[in-house]
Amino acid sequence: MAETTVIETADLRKRYGDTEAVRGLTLQVPGGSIFGFLGRNGAGKTTTIKLLLGMARPSGGDARVFNLPASSGPSSVAIRRRTGFVSEDKDLYDFMTVEEMIRFTAPLYPKWRKDLEERYLRKFELRPSQTVKSLSRGMRTKLALLLALCRGADLLILDEPTSGLDPAMTEEVLQALVVHVASEQMTVFFSSHQIAEVEQIADHVAIIDHGRSVVAGALDDLRERYRRIQLVFDADAPAWTFTSPGVQRIRRKGRVITLISSAGSGHVANEARALHPVSIDVTPLSLKDIFLETVVSED
Amino acid sequence: MLWYKSWLETRWRFFIGLGLFMLSAGGVIYAYPQVMKLIPRASDLDMSGALGQRIKDAVELSRDYRGYVWGQWTRQNLTQFTTLFAIILGSGGPYSQRSELFTLSLPVSRQRLVGVRSMAGLGELLVIVVVSSLMIPLLSPSVGQSYGVGNALVHALCAFVAGAAFFSLATLLSTSFSDIWRPLLIACSVAAVLWVVEQVARGFSPYSIFTVMNGETYFRSGRLPWVGLLASTGLSAAMLYGAAANIERRDF
Repeated sequence: MAETTVIETADLRKRYGDTEAVRGLTLQVPGGSIFGFLGRNGAGKTTTIKLLLGMARPSGGDARVFNLPASSGPSSVAIRRRTGFVSEDKDLYDFMTVEEMIRFTAPLYPKWRKDLEERYLRKFELRPSQTVKSLSRGMRTKLALLLALCRGADLLILDEPTSGLDPAMTEEVLQALVVHVASEQMTVFFSSHQIAEVEQIADHVAIIDHGRSVVAGALDDLRERYRRIQLVFDADAPAWTFTSPGVQRIRRKGRVITLISSAGSGHVANEARALHPVSIDVTPLSLKDIFLETVVSED
Repeated sequence: MLWYKSWLETRWRFFIGLGLFMLSAGGVIYAYPQVMKLIPRASDLDMSGALGQRIKDAVELSRDYRGYVWGQWTRQNLTQFTTLFAIILGSGGPYSQRSELFTLSLPVSRQRLVGVRSMAGLGELLVIVVVSSLMIPLLSPSVGQSYGVGNALVHALCAFVAGAAFFSLATLLSTSFSDIWRPLLIACSVAAVLWVVEQVARGFSPYSIFTVMNGETYFRSGRLPWVGLLASTGLSAAMLYGAAANIERRDF
């Protein structure tokens, strides 16, 4: 990829009536990454994707893809020419057959990959004569994925790609995606609320909650930085305001203080020692822990 | 390929419309001998009141073959079916098939999508109207009559140009609603109201869109309803422009 940053948003906002679906989202997706966009249902993931693809206009802020403004009509067409997209509902044309869907989509993309089309038709066991209407949800997902992968796109945007699929089908779809990305130079931006699948294939992650990004970075870096530090005291835990950098959460219960740090444990542990705890336990956080601590705890 | 999609999307409406129009045209031709047998008996009917006046009018028109075709086919079936199918073909549109996100993800501007869909729909309407109208000169010799191809084409074009206003209305409504039914029902209601106004206020009749559609001035005096045709074209263009502007600013 020529671009160092493929997707970039700055203070992006989208309001629908009284509801603010996206509230000042700032995000950077590096070229060549598999970027997991995690969030609960209604967090603003789909709205963000619609803003990136020009399906909705932002109420404020800026969204750029391939360094082109997503909100401008002509730029948006240029962005979509280089982007493969699979929507959450896998909405395709029910009145077409599999073959008609392909014959309709292919000419719109100058870099359409006929070799991949044949490969995925075989691999996904899609019958060209079958109508889209008669496809199961899993087969519909496979067709939507085929139509996105064969575009010769530089960027793949997937909105909850495994939504509604059984575990076996989910695994099959994810494996196809991983194998494809490994052989083609492309960036993948996919939204999900399934932490396990993000952890399985993503190398970068952003967690969105109530329309803003609460955590973002390389997955390995996040695992390296996020720590749970538990302090146990021989009497009630002291009321102490921690000033160390990276302290995200503090929970005090009886003789125990639990802290979540996004900057390792060193500074917090040093500060904690001044309180003379009986013990200091430091444990790394999984992506699931980070998600739960940053999103669920916000309630 | 957008033409291909529009065709696949509307082909059944097109075929059903074409079939119905052709059956209707054939029915009018083959009913002619029976109608001729009934004409002498019409003098026994009570022709007082508004209904009687209409029967009298129909009987008078039917005394000559061109008048019969205009009264039975052009003024009734062609005008009514064109209105209905213009609305049916204009309803729906590229953004109301529960597949809007796939369509919007394509590297095509929204205006082009609306433009292609509209042109495809209008093209289908034109084919339906012209082909079915040409059935009249084609089938007339089978009942011992003749009918000019030029006449058939002029009436078909009047029906198409004025009918395009209903197509454009349905297209405009389809860009405001996400389902197919509301645009269909609202456009049909507008057509019904215009028809009722024409029937109740007879003085309004010369200015009615249905009078433009049936080409009454051409039938009676050989003059094309230019003002009506131009007004219909302008109205259609304005509504299609409105549809494109509507879809351009809409959030999905």
